[in-house]
Amino acid sequence: MQVFHAFKSGPGSNVMGRGRLALGLAIAMVVFVGIGMSLFRPLYRADNGMAGPTSESDIDGELDEVPREGKSPSFTAEVAPILTQYCAGCHSEDHAEGGFVLVSYPNDATAAKDTEVWQRVAAMVPSRRMPPAGHPRPSQKELEVIAVWLDQAAGRTVDPGRVTMRRLNRAEYNNTIHDLVGVTFNPADDFPADDSGDGFDTIGDVLSVSPTLVEKYLTAAEAVVNAATANPSIWKRITTPPEQDYIPFVLRGMPPQRADAVKGLRETPDPEAATRAAEIDRAYYALQAFADRAYRRPITHAEMYRLMRFVDMSINRGEGPDEGLKLALKAILVSPHFLFKVEQGPRTVDDAVSPLSDFELATRLSYFLWSSMPDEELYRLAASRKLREPRTLIAQVRRMLKNPRSHALAEQFAGQWLQTRALTEVARDTVLYPGFDAELVQAMRTETDMFFDDIVKEDQSVVELLTADYTFANERLARHYGIAGVSGTNFRRVSLAGTGRSGILTHASILTVTSGPTRTSPVKRGKWVLENMLGAPAPTPPPGVDGLKDDHAVKPATIREQLERHRSRAECAACHARLDPLGFGLESFDAVGARRERDGESPIDASGLLPDGRTFRGPAELAAVLAERPEDFARCLTQKLLTYGLGRSLKAADWRAVDRVVRHAARNHYRFSSLIFAIVSSDPFMRRHNQPEEMR
Amino acid sequence: MKRFATMSRRTALRGLGATIALPFFDSLLPRAAAMAARPMRLVFIYAPNGKHMPDWTPEVEGTGLQKLPPTLKPLEKVWEHVVVHSGLAQRTADPGTDGPGDHARAMATFLTGVRPHKTSGSDVRVGPSVDQAAAAVLGKDTRLPSLEVGCEAGKPAGTCDNGYSCAYQTNLSWRTATVPMPKEIDPRLVFERLFGDRTGPDADVAVAKRERDRQSVLDFVAEDSQQLRRSLGGSDRQKLDEYLTAVREVETRIRSAQPATDIGQTKLTRPSGVPENYQEHARLLAELIALAFQADLTRVATFVLGNDGSNRSYREVGVAEGHHDISHHGGDPVKFKKLSTVNRFHVSQLAYLLERMKAIPNGDSSLLDRCLVVYGSGISDGDRHNHDDLPVLVAGGGLRGGCHVRHRANTPLCNLYLALLDRVGVKADRFGDSNGRLPSLSG
Repeated sequence: MQVFHAFKSGPGSNVMGRGRLALGLAIAMVVFVGIGMSLFRPLYRADNGMAGPTSESDIDGELDEVPREGKSPSFTAEVAPILTQYCAGCHSEDHAEGGFVLVSYPNDATAAKDTEVWQRVAAMVPSRRMPPAGHPRPSQKELEVIAVWLDQAAGRTVDPGRVTMRRLNRAEYNNTIHDLVGVTFNPADDFPADDSGDGFDTIGDVLSVSPTLVEKYLTAAEAVVNAATANPSIWKRITTPPEQDYIPFVLRGMPPQRADAVKGLRETPDPEAATRAAEIDRAYYALQAFADRAYRRPITHAEMYRLMRFVDMSINRGEGPDEGLKLALKAILVSPHFLFKVEQGPRTVDDAVSPLSDFELATRLSYFLWSSMPDEELYRLAASRKLREPRTLIAQVRRMLKNPRSHALAEQFAGQWLQTRALTEVARDTVLYPGFDAELVQAMRTETDMFFDDIVKEDQSVVELLTADYTFANERLARHYGIAGVSGTNFRRVSLAGTGRSGILTHASILTVTSGPTRTSPVKRGKWVLENMLGAPAPTPPPGVDGLKDDHAVKPATIREQLERHRSRAECAACHARLDPLGFGLESFDAVGARRERDGESPIDASGLLPDGRTFRGPAELAAVLAERPEDFARCLTQKLLTYGLGRSLKAADWRAVDRVVRHAARNHYRFSSLIFAIVSSDPFMRRHNQPEEMR
Repeated sequence: MKRFATMSRRTALRGLGATIALPFFDSLLPRAAAMAARPMRLVFIYAPNGKHMPDWTPEVEGTGLQKLPPTLKPLEKVWEHVVVHSGLAQRTADPGTDGPGDHARAMATFLTGVRPHKTSGSDVRVGPSVDQAAAAVLGKDTRLPSLEVGCEAGKPAGTCDNGYSCAYQTNLSWRTATVPMPKEIDPRLVFERLFGDRTGPDADVAVAKRERDRQSVLDFVAEDSQQLRRSLGGSDRQKLDEYLTAVREVETRIRSAQPATDIGQTKLTRPSGVPENYQEHARLLAELIALAFQADLTRVATFVLGNDGSNRSYREVGVAEGHHDISHHGGDPVKFKKLSTVNRFHVSQLAYLLERMKAIPNGDSSLLDRCLVVYGSGISDGDRHNHDDLPVLVAGGGLRGGCHVRHRANTPLCNLYLALLDRVGVKADRFGDSNGRLPSLSG
């Protein structure tokens, strides 16, 4: 805490009194670098005006790590009356809606101690997920009172959570093998599909290891090492030790014991023995360099000792050192240190919460942004313990986002968030949709990938995802969209003017994955918008009441009419009143995302309604309406990015981190890199709880 | 990408065409002869989204059935081997206090009889499944303790059924409560797992060296893991244990697996990938299961015709709508008809496997007589999502078939599994939510 005050009064504090200092970072730095670290001062600050981002340097290098501004409200006098008015109706002890009960407290201090309750309130109320639509909701001013109180009084204990040790998923395995070895084939394509949780295949808890997978790991390791051996330039690179070892010696633990044997060989006058010693040395340092990269941290002397047994064994068998080297490489590729992202933090820290080690941080960063291992620059920064300096970190985030490897964000993150990866499974009735073929599907996927990648590489505002008046198309897709003058198979940037399209909501990829084989599904589309643009969980149907009936005396002409009837049934109405009207707004595009004026014989009615009561007509207007509250969209995107990047389900305790990312992004025009920087600087990303949850 | 295409019978059989021998078997002939005792096998086949029950359930009980119900029609040629069991239930799939998510629960409970822990991400828990309980005993001597195949991979994006992790909806087989056995979709990969590296000249020498190398690699990583394990706690340690158990299992298998049984010439060539056509895909997988049993490479298999909740369309049989969409039929007779068509199409894949196994001699009887086949769904009526009176049948294994048994309502499906385990010589007094053992598997 002292450190914190010292920073605050130093040259780093700012005139507005926000004192945007990274408390978490400060502690981390004390632990790692010592108090002598004084380069902590504000970098650049963006105007709070509405002008768009101008240059790279105007991103704020600091985060809101202090409570929201404002006088601390009194719980009993100010907060409790609001909760009583809006929440107590359903969350009284009698009703206990959703198993959640609000009770009264004798005084402010008692109330503040009930952190679990406030974490849940904090996760639901400021983001307007509660109270649900259709119920009276607190005003903006009242919300602000709650938010300030929550931030100042409740949830003071910060729990950064704990990520279950996770294995590489298929994409990560392939990318890592490419970067580590240099071979270009994709061994993990033959692995069983990864299970996903919370919509992402990076969730440690659901990435399991079956015997089948271990067999595949063995086969893949053999194939990779064989391919490396067969390629002279790759093999030379792997077997030539680096000029020098830049890993500080202490990081390798106890010194090696194997030296004796080599020493014995070196000291004999026999030139053959000296050659053998040199060969063993070469194998040793080549393996060490490879293992350092494969394990994403310095390999210890003790581990090297065991790895060298492979080399000893093959020499003793008279097969020469290379056979053993190959076997050792295979062993590295099947080792848990390679297959899992092991996080242990610095082992000397006894606190409940500790920062990740520098190498663990580098690993989280590179798998988050690249779906692959850290490159040499990250590795060196980790080795010299510079990576967690905010100035270095922000520069690295920018560098990594500009690097071609950040395409993984479009492919892996956006592919799952926006669900465009599901295009591979999409089937369409060829009679109803004669133009639907593999080429079009590929074009759809490419469009959304390129568009997202463009937002990342150009560091644009994430709001552009909703409102961009351009996209990327080749001839096939342009024809599908009715855009003239695009020919050939190459994709290029095209204007969407006059097409009625704007942003991802009108991408054919998304309109297709949210439809069925023979028709559009406003329900699915509404659910998609709620879950992925607004971050609100979609309500779930009770059994036996979903499904559309076609057995009315007069057949409804359009899907919209069918759904209107559906909603006239009381048991369906409550939920579908939230889902359908969102999806209706997208009805002017058919089940393959082509523009249409009619559904069957009837004209399209693309008027829609948001859960909060705002209305719109057509997808472009929906996008514009969503963009009116960029903080809601940014919050949703932040939650998705954080889940994906951490590899675990978000918990109520994460609200504070999410809230800070959104506030930081808001000050920085919602530029993509500002979200990423704030996420990777957040407590959940930088630190971990040392105790497993079940043992606390 | 799966698209619709009309297909001829010829295309359907492509991939099963040319005759190529699998040469490695010959060299193993003498030892194979020692394996005279003919083992029992088990295969579980899962079909998604329930059935149109009026077209599934035989009208009368016992053996006096005059005419097969429409959905079971494809089983005509093997009917004497089939016993339909009505009235069985998997009540662990009921909503209870967990709310919606019947498709995930149907699939997760079908072979486990354990209520899955409702979670979208952390702490996935359900199994183990009955096939794995059997494999722990039957699979001890074979190259693969069990084989898991299916026609539909996991969802490539998006969340799964109402707050359940996708793990519940894509895996039928669970090795332990937390480790699912993922299924192989690609027939080429199934083939390679079974036979791949054992073909060609010098196969024996290459295999021997490779297995020696694998042993030393696995020894190394097991030691590595032990060291790491000491510094881990909680869920991390649990994950590492998953890995370590798998490593040990592969090690044991390399060390002690029995050689395959000679199956002589086979018509199967190395498949080139996942066929676009559903029936071709399903038949190729059925063929591989039959071959694996015949060569005694494994004795337990699970076969998923579709993940529960699957919205695949079956244009091959004239159903363009998604299967899940029509399973919510709302009482519409048009949808009933389509559902029934899809159900029959799935049953005809079962029929193919049964007929195939019946044609393969095994000692003085057929492979089918030495293999018990369970076929069913974890949902009865797709619109109601009910998990009682499930569509379930048992075939083969030398059962006296051609009959329909109706059990007391709500008899746990796990009671049938106990009888099944009993029949293949696996001792168990309880499994999942069992409350007794079916007295008999046939009528």
